[in-house]
Amino acid sequence: MQEFVEFTLGGIATGMIYAAIAVSLVLIWRGTRVLNYSQGGMAMFTTYVAWLVIRGTGSYWAGFVLALAAGLVLGAILERGVVRPTMGKSPLNSVIVTIGLLIFLEGLAGILYGGQYRSFPAAFSVTGLKIGNFALGISPNDLFTAAAVLAAALALAAVFRYTSVGLRLRATAFRPDVARLLGVRIGRVLTLGWALAGLFGALAGVLVTPSTFLYPNSMDSIFVLGFTAAVIGGLDSPAGAVAGGVLLGVVLSYAGGYLGSSLVLVYGLIVLALVLMVRPGGLFSSTAARRV
Amino acid sequence: MTKAAALAVEDITAGYGGVLALEAVSVTARPGTITAVLGANGAGKTTMLRTISGLVRPRRGRILVDGVDVTRRRPADIARAGVAHVPEGQGVITELTVEENLRLGALPRKGSAVRSAALSDAYQRFPALAERRRKAAGTLSGGERQILVIARALMAAPRVLLLDEPSLGLAPRMVAQVMDLVRQLREGTGLTVLLVEQNARSALAIADSGIVLNLGKVVAAADAAALAADVGLRRHYLGF
Repeated sequence: MQEFVEFTLGGIATGMIYAAIAVSLVLIWRGTRVLNYSQGGMAMFTTYVAWLVIRGTGSYWAGFVLALAAGLVLGAILERGVVRPTMGKSPLNSVIVTIGLLIFLEGLAGILYGGQYRSFPAAFSVTGLKIGNFALGISPNDLFTAAAVLAAALALAAVFRYTSVGLRLRATAFRPDVARLLGVRIGRVLTLGWALAGLFGALAGVLVTPSTFLYPNSMDSIFVLGFTAAVIGGLDSPAGAVAGGVLLGVVLSYAGGYLGSSLVLVYGLIVLALVLMVRPGGLFSSTAARRV
Repeated sequence: MTKAAALAVEDITAGYGGVLALEAVSVTARPGTITAVLGANGAGKTTMLRTISGLVRPRRGRILVDGVDVTRRRPADIARAGVAHVPEGQGVITELTVEENLRLGALPRKGSAVRSAALSDAYQRFPALAERRRKAAGTLSGGERQILVIARALMAAPRVLLLDEPSLGLAPRMVAQVMDLVRQLREGTGLTVLLVEQNARSALAIADSGIVLNLGKVVAAADAAALAADVGLRRHYLGF
């Protein structure tokens, strides 16, 4: 019983990090039909920003906030400068460009900060919480991680649902051809989508790095799992991305806990294969409805 | 005359790749009139609307809206200059609610009071939409969708409305209803309408004037009554 609770709560906390990466991928996919392979590299880079700021100022929160701001700016710059020119061309162009960006960002981080593993602070204590003698398997920092991603996802949902910016974002995601005839400036909306994706990626970076160390490839495996979560969720639904992240986190936590941790990535693939066999479009996909 | 025109298309040539879809086409529409754009499939009717709204870039010629040159501006900016283009078929965003579709149409307008007023006007004019405001637009019937896209276009308070085949695929009863709506729009608001139709007879019945396109060229331009009375034209190009 104790193990089960530990694995479940621990899985949810880790899953929320996959969810943040998954949301960032979904934000870009919905708007531009580009799979951003550089998302992990962007998150790694903004985590270095946090690391520099924390080292310079001694304030964790200054680093946290500036990393998120850097994510927004980096996303916007990359969309305008690098990805925009590939729009309207073969989809392979954008794939190659975002893979190139990943290699570039990881190389640049290596040049600027070196390849060594850096420890990165957590916001709160990482000591496991207990109720009496009953260990919960999560720390105050895990609670913060889950709460931060959940708050960001709910804020995003509120923006989508209740603001005119959100209406523009959704209209552009579903029907860019219709949106621009109604006066929506598609280019700005796409830039905003990339900026928001950069923000979510940056959030995932600062939240996960205390448990992985910081180095130029530190986000690679998190990106793969975040991508898996996004596909499980259907790739075009932010709610699906969060659900996919939590599902993946919990299943991997059970698998690692009960079956041994050496094959965790394989179990991730099995989850993905099972979901896609039952629902080929992913859990929350609206693709079928759209293709009518 | 040209100064007073709500919409002036002057000597437009446009095409896709090596193929010219429009050659030296001109049309002038006075404020508050309906101009029917007629012709067979492939005559260039849809390309003409797409060129006016900026989806196709013309190779030659000018397009003026209320005397302002909008040629080669981006579609979103032409929309903001007062041109509402309702393309053929599937124009509703089925994943959004009816109300969200309508609100989307009003977004370019300044001031939330103006936008809410436009929304209540739309519900007053189209009570069927008010009943379904919270429903996904994908649940509407074909005729209701056509009403919704026209209502959405009106949310921006356009000067010029470009309607592409509004009767396509609708039951005869709905065709009459949509045509009636188009006629009322002109009378109520001084809106200028460019109406592309396969159904030449019902388009000419509500239009003030018309042009007939054939293989990208204007073969006739006259009052609607004169076009409808021209037996040769009807037999060759209009099919009634």
